[in-house]
Amino acid sequence: MSTVLEVRDVAKYFGGIRALDGITLSVPEKGLIGLIGPNGSGKTTLFNVVTGFYVPDRGSVWFRDSGGTWRIDGLNPNEVFRKGIVRTFQTPRLFKSLTVLENLLLTPIGQKGEDITRVFYEKTWRDQELELARKAVKLLKTFNMLQYANLMASELSVAHMKMLETMRGLMTPATLYLLDEPAAGVDYPQARELFSYVKRLRNEQGLSFLIIEHRIEILMEFVDYVYVLHNGRLLCEGKPQEVVSDPRVIEAYIGV
Amino acid sequence: MFGFDIVGFMISWLTLFGIYSILAITLNVESGISGITNFGKVVFYGIGAYVSAMLTTYLILMLNGVNVSEIPPYNINGVILLGELGNKNPALNIGLFLLAIILSFIVAGAIGYLLTYPILRVGPEFVGFTLLSSGELTRIFLLHYEPVGASKGLMGIPNPFGWIPDSRIRQILYLMLVLGFLALTFITMKKLVNSPLGRTLKAVRDDETAALCMGKHVPKIKATVLFIGSGFSGIAGALLSYYFTSVNPNMFAPSVTFNAWAMIILGGFGNLVGSLLGAAIITLVDRALTFIIPLLGITVISPDYLRWLIVGLLLVIVLLVNPRGLLPEKPIETPASKEMKRETGEEGG
Repeated sequence: MSTVLEVRDVAKYFGGIRALDGITLSVPEKGLIGLIGPNGSGKTTLFNVVTGFYVPDRGSVWFRDSGGTWRIDGLNPNEVFRKGIVRTFQTPRLFKSLTVLENLLLTPIGQKGEDITRVFYEKTWRDQELELARKAVKLLKTFNMLQYANLMASELSVAHMKMLETMRGLMTPATLYLLDEPAAGVDYPQARELFSYVKRLRNEQGLSFLIIEHRIEILMEFVDYVYVLHNGRLLCEGKPQEVVSDPRVIEAYIGV
Repeated sequence: MFGFDIVGFMISWLTLFGIYSILAITLNVESGISGITNFGKVVFYGIGAYVSAMLTTYLILMLNGVNVSEIPPYNINGVILLGELGNKNPALNIGLFLLAIILSFIVAGAIGYLLTYPILRVGPEFVGFTLLSSGELTRIFLLHYEPVGASKGLMGIPNPFGWIPDSRIRQILYLMLVLGFLALTFITMKKLVNSPLGRTLKAVRDDETAALCMGKHVPKIKATVLFIGSGFSGIAGALLSYYFTSVNPNMFAPSVTFNAWAMIILGGFGNLVGSLLGAAIITLVDRALTFIIPLLGITVISPDYLRWLIVGLLLVIVLLVNPRGLLPEKPIETPASKEMKRETGEEGG
């Protein structure tokens, strides 16, 4: 199976702090990969390096799609997004003065109505807009959030904000999704609903996911492979069952 | 006859309302909707005014066979000649006006577009001050640049309807023209805001980083908005120069920018109809003071100072009662949001 994302020996230092200290990992095509580790182990920093927020001090990041293999470290966040990598944020960064529906409609790439030369001719973008709206409605229905569609994003509960943050990422067609703690603050049934939806997307559409999650009990149920970070280094990797029983992981989490 | 010229007052108020509304609406799209702190609105307004003033005065003289290197339009003889030659040919006046409007749009828009280059480098916090200082630099440049009349400015700019002998008809026609351009601006901006692009603009305002993560080309979007907003401000400037038939650098002091800011804060940040309301209220205060104070025979208080006091007081009162302005921002309307309302409406009942 070919890889979609390859992180090669990436390091990122902040002064004397080694946030990432030589990480090598890969996400295969149709992969559903977990990324765990105690607080401060570098998980979100790794996402930031992959999505263009930080330039790594060492190493490289490679992304492969049908068009070829690209080195993506050092690109701007919007360029990384356009390559087909979507990320969500740990703390929801919703557009608070937009409605829930607008937040969802915003993400898809290649919207004709965003083009200044077409914006004044509604005919040229109307159909696309309605199609996106149907997709958004379907997504909202899947997660029982249709009744909130016209609320401002700022009026949602924290759990719904978190859901919207993830759904917003799923609205746009991409190759690889980086989800940063999608289940944090979300109740158990809805979190499971979210993970089974992700798994369905993976199975039916062949999308790849790299998911940071602290709620290991839910994560382990769905992912095929797990990487464990600790103090900026890869502590271990393997199938979920192998990882949870690894004494090093237990030690890192419980901190003997 | 002693009395209050109500028609004259209305014409004067509505003309200024039209011109200022164009500034307020475009400022609202730039700052209220897109989050670009534009403290340099006056730059583009002034550029529009000067482009149209120069184009009209120089061309009228040149087309009448005057050698402008000997008798330039800013010279007293030039002004006298402009008075004699300026209003003879209706087709020429209207043609020059249309040409000046188009050119004002392009020049002001292009400068707005180019100014985004330094803006993007100083980061969002300094955008306001970069633009503010650009405004003052422009004014100081105009104050010392001889071909645009330096501190005297340009006078005797022929109005597109200058050939009509009756001044009242002339004023009414010009008012119609101004309101026509206001309608054009309003419709353009309304379409711009109520579209996927408008949605993206609000997203950029709310969280620039997240918008960048959603693949939005934030710098390009800001440049586009400043191009269109500045272009229309250029038109407002052109309309002003033909209305007063003269321009001078001190008409383009930073207070013009903050007057427009007061209008959008009063009317409602992010609400286009609110900008019209804000512009109507503030220009009404301005005109009323200019008309009424001389009638009262008061000479101690200048309407200029009183106007700022009243505008300040109005702002404080409105913001205390409703911090989001008289007409708060509403979600944008696109085919999708209309569809959604229909759908949720059906489900609800």
